[in-house]
Amino acid sequence: LDTTLLSSSLLLTLSTLLIPVFTLLLPKTLKSPTATITSATKTAFLISLIPTTLFIHSGTEHIISCWEWKPIMNFKIPISLKLDLYSVLFIPTALFVTWSILQFASWYMASDPHITKFFLYLLMFLIAMLLLTIANNMFLLFIGWEGVGIMSFLLIGWWHGRAEANTAALQAIMYNRIGDIGLMLSMAWLASSLNTWELQQTSPATHLPTLPTLGLLLAAAGKSAQFGLHPWLPAAMEGPTPVSALLHSSTMVVAGIFLLIRTHPMFANNQLTLTICLCLGALSTLFAATCALTQNDIKKIIAFSTSSQLGLMMVTIGLSLPQLAFFHILTHAFFKAMLFLCSGSIIHNLNGEQDIRKMGNLQKTLPTTTSCLTIGNLALMGTPFLAGFYSKDLIIESLNTSYLNTWALLITLLATSFTATYSLRMTLLTQTGFTRTPPTTPINENNPAVINPITRLAAGSIMIGLLITSFILPVKTPPMTMPTLTKLAAITVTALGLILALELSNLTHAMTSPKRNHASTFSISLGYFNPLTHRLSSTSLLISGQKIATHLIDLSWYKKLGPEGLAHLQLSMAKTSTTLHTGLIKAYLGSFALSILVTTLLTQTP
Amino acid sequence: MSPYTKLLTSLSLLLGTTITISSNHWLMAWVGLEINTLAIIPMIAKSHHPRAIEATIKYFLVQATASALLLFSSMANAWSSGQWDITQMTHTTPCLLMTMAIAMKLGLVPFHFWFPEVLQGTSLTTALLLSTLMKLPPLTLLLLTSHSLNPTLLTTMAISSAALGGWMGLNQTQTRKILAFSSISHLGWMAAIILYYPKLTLLTFYLYTILTTTVFLTLNTTKTMNLQTMTIAWTKAPVLSTTLMLTLLSLAGLPPLTGFLPKWLILQELTSQELTPTATIMAMLSLLGLFFYLRLAYHSTITLPPNSTTHMKQWHTNNPTNTIIAPLTSSSLLLLPLSPMILASI
Repeated sequence: LDTTLLSSSLLLTLSTLLIPVFTLLLPKTLKSPTATITSATKTAFLISLIPTTLFIHSGTEHIISCWEWKPIMNFKIPISLKLDLYSVLFIPTALFVTWSILQFASWYMASDPHITKFFLYLLMFLIAMLLLTIANNMFLLFIGWEGVGIMSFLLIGWWHGRAEANTAALQAIMYNRIGDIGLMLSMAWLASSLNTWELQQTSPATHLPTLPTLGLLLAAAGKSAQFGLHPWLPAAMEGPTPVSALLHSSTMVVAGIFLLIRTHPMFANNQLTLTICLCLGALSTLFAATCALTQNDIKKIIAFSTSSQLGLMMVTIGLSLPQLAFFHILTHAFFKAMLFLCSGSIIHNLNGEQDIRKMGNLQKTLPTTTSCLTIGNLALMGTPFLAGFYSKDLIIESLNTSYLNTWALLITLLATSFTATYSLRMTLLTQTGFTRTPPTTPINENNPAVINPITRLAAGSIMIGLLITSFILPVKTPPMTMPTLTKLAAITVTALGLILALELSNLTHAMTSPKRNHASTFSISLGYFNPLTHRLSSTSLLISGQKIATHLIDLSWYKKLGPEGLAHLQLSMAKTSTTLHTGLIKAYLGSFALSILVTTLLTQTP
Repeated sequence: MSPYTKLLTSLSLLLGTTITISSNHWLMAWVGLEINTLAIIPMIAKSHHPRAIEATIKYFLVQATASALLLFSSMANAWSSGQWDITQMTHTTPCLLMTMAIAMKLGLVPFHFWFPEVLQGTSLTTALLLSTLMKLPPLTLLLLTSHSLNPTLLTTMAISSAALGGWMGLNQTQTRKILAFSSISHLGWMAAIILYYPKLTLLTFYLYTILTTTVFLTLNTTKTMNLQTMTIAWTKAPVLSTTLMLTLLSLAGLPPLTGFLPKWLILQELTSQELTPTATIMAMLSLLGLFFYLRLAYHSTITLPPNSTTHMKQWHTNNPTNTIIAPLTSSSLLLLPLSPMILASI
């Protein structure tokens, strides 16, 4: 009974989502399409709570496998869906967040003439993401992977008249593509060596070689914006705020981490991959946090914050704690989406202003939004007993009590304190202080389409941590005993960051001119990464292309080594020999004598 | 030139040639060569032009040196072996010196420098004599001594003659110089095969004589001395221009014309003597000759010059065409199918 209910409710969820796609393709629509889609998502969320409840009650995991595709005789690709802990928890979270975002988007994008297309894009993205999460083989996962990539491209470039939006969309595609190389590499390796794409069959008892695991790591680095493949995430803020809230905070960017969580048994024994995860994650989190310190665009601060949290999730994978990383994904989804929605509300109310230096004192004019902004920032920092605490504090504790890389540990702690610093900076500059906005801004947040999603997500970010940890048992035993300072390490560094930020904000009242030093320049120019890599890689590629195509093939092989080179050789010989024929008889007779002498001398046999 | 001089010189030429090719004794051979030299000197200097006089002097100096060297080498051989027989030239150094003297007489590389300039200084008919008749006595001597010649020297001279004839011919606009270099490269081919199959040398020489006589006489009809004149020579004798193109291609050695026959047989013989690199190199170098022959054919027949002519055919020509061109042209174009008979009869 359990399994039937599980599978049928899953199918009902998915079909509820698919209905608007088909009905809205018909020319005659019933009522407003945005409301249709929003209510479809709400219904799907409520239905998806059924499998979740079933899972919490009995721990049933379920795999649905139907309709195989046999391209070659002994290689089967079935449509195989897995409902285990990860998918059964992720689906309601994603649907809840999407529901709130869709409701918010009906207010945010109200003036857009193509709002229906926007909602359909968001819906298609959601379907692709859900397909990615419930996939049991790499093929369906790849379909979902590519689907979210394409929808990300379409949605980032939504305002396609803007050149920066187009370049940002292209940047996202390119960086994701570089990651896809790794994914295809590991898929090809799996298909050729293990003859399967099912995730159950890819975790052998013996040690798996490093190559496919590195491929998966590259794919995750590309999709989840780890250091080296990270510039697309801040650039993706060119899209509308609902897009940033859905894609680039909660769902798409965690797809890479999700892939690593799903395939964790494959590299659980591979120490190299785990170390790379750890160090890469630590580096990403510190780099993103450093860059966020000097940003002035509110959406970019939240984007770098997302990037930093993704690095933290990668660190958790490197600690061999996939379940904990997944919890952090869930809690992070709530408060990050809420932060984006609050920032969207602020931006719209200030008539498009995104610079925090031009906001101030919004606490009085936008009370609900700013309260939820504060709640979100506190949850992000890991304030005890808010949502972020349950996952983030556990991660830091596990990091402290593990016998792994100390450098990664220190970096992560530093990044945690930076998280507090930039969150507090954003909060202070937007909410407190003097009003720096123009006096005639139409500030009005009394729209239920704005207030309800934000408060819903605020409630989620307060309670979700407690709910998840109460109902789900951890697979690995969390560390129970540790010295007091270690236990308080996360809180301490966060508090230190807060105090530092408060002290530094006092400086802004003192009217001192800002000094330029190396650290601030590094942070402002995002680590000099973008100009270095973007120009260098494309220039070298184009130059080598020109060398190979034009110089090597066209000029050398086709011309120099062929007709033109030959003609040139003959020409030089003709010129040389013409110069020799001087017309002077004495020279001729002399050459005759010399030739005779040389020949007679050469042919003397001793 | 007064008729008596003409008679004297032409008969002396025939006498000298006959003496050399029918002699057994080295001295008689030398006598014949000297008579030839002396007889042709007034023919070269016929026109009293400074260039002709210069050509005469160059010719005389080189040929005298060559004859002296030939006499010296025969004397050295007689000293070492005690006999003056032409076919018994056995000792190496005299044989070597003799080879080089004959190369000087013929115009093989590296003893070829005089040849283009002498040809350039004379009229076309004298140039014809220099290219064909004056080559016969030295070639005969070479044939008689072919069994004792140094292979390395001959192959070197052959390949470098073919090469230099090709390269130098590329840079010429005067037709007589072009024909001189064509003669040098053909002599290279003749020298390549002389050690292995002397009959082919003779065959090459005969066919070369026919071909080059045709070309010289054709050019003499239209008096074309340089490439520019060649472009408008078609108005004087249109049919001759057509046959000139084909004859030039035959000189180049293009099948199915006659000039292909000697090249083909030489390559075959060289290959069967396991001298494939030599054969390959000679074949490649003859491509250079093909280029300038093709250029000559192009300018004479295939294209029209950019200057406009007021008429298509001149109604009044200065000298009538030499009728001997007709059979010579036919021979130079159509003898290839008769090659078995030719091979059997030489």
